[in-house]
Amino acid sequence: MAVITEEDWISDLRGPPATRDDALDRLHDLLLRAARFELGRRSRMLHGVPRAEIDDLATQAAGDAMVAILAKLDSFRGESRFTTGAYKFALLEAGVKARRRAWQDREVLLDEAAWPAVPHAGPSAQQVLEDAEVLNAIRDALHTALTRHQREVFTALALNEVPIDVLADRLGSTRGALYKTLHDARRKLRAAIEGDAR
Amino acid sequence: MSLLGPKGPEIGCDECFDLLDQYVELELAGADADARIPGMRAHLEGCPACREDHDSLLALVGET
Repeated sequence: MAVITEEDWISDLRGPPATRDDALDRLHDLLLRAARFELGRRSRMLHGVPRAEIDDLATQAAGDAMVAILAKLDSFRGESRFTTGAYKFALLEAGVKARRRAWQDREVLLDEAAWPAVPHAGPSAQQVLEDAEVLNAIRDALHTALTRHQREVFTALALNEVPIDVLADRLGSTRGALYKTLHDARRKLRAAIEGDAR
Repeated sequence: MSLLGPKGPEIGCDECFDLLDQYVELELAGADADARIPGMRAHLEGCPACREDHDSLLALVGET
């Protein structure tokens, strides 16, 4: 089998129809493999989802990744291998679809109803105690340091562990915008807690 | 505590996605990926979704 170089991928995808169609078929195969790989890694999350539906998710993810890659073909500048760059699009699309499918019948909590007792507790009693103290400090600062939107995003993502792509879907937002909100909320909470400790 | 995320400077999700393939290839080549792409490691610690994307790409490219 002939080796496909980096230059071949780009030039073939921009080539005459027969060459381009062949390259598109090869790219689709590559993306489908990556999407199936990702959905396989998310099998626990997708427990109970019929095999045929998972196959559909893989096909959709490969198709969406293909559209995204072709729209951004100019961004492939050789800083990494073409296949590595292509894989990341398929993994992203498949991961997002897996999270959304796993949460499609689940309620997304934006309040503190599911406040954890001691999240991410460490192995020692001292660590548990320190975590509980930080948790109490966060609870106090949540209402004084954050805007309502920051509070809801922090509660959903950090406390209730809602996947960020699921929250983005429900709120009509994006992963990047929500993470910026989470980052700002964390910074304000840390400053409030450190201020109280002085 | 992980609730408050990483303390150091970090890049955002969009920049993380743009640079993820380069970062993973540097890791697989044994290069100092964190020195070449500052803020990526902190972001991966703070963002579970981007961390999953990273771990999957590292695993997939590593086996091919």
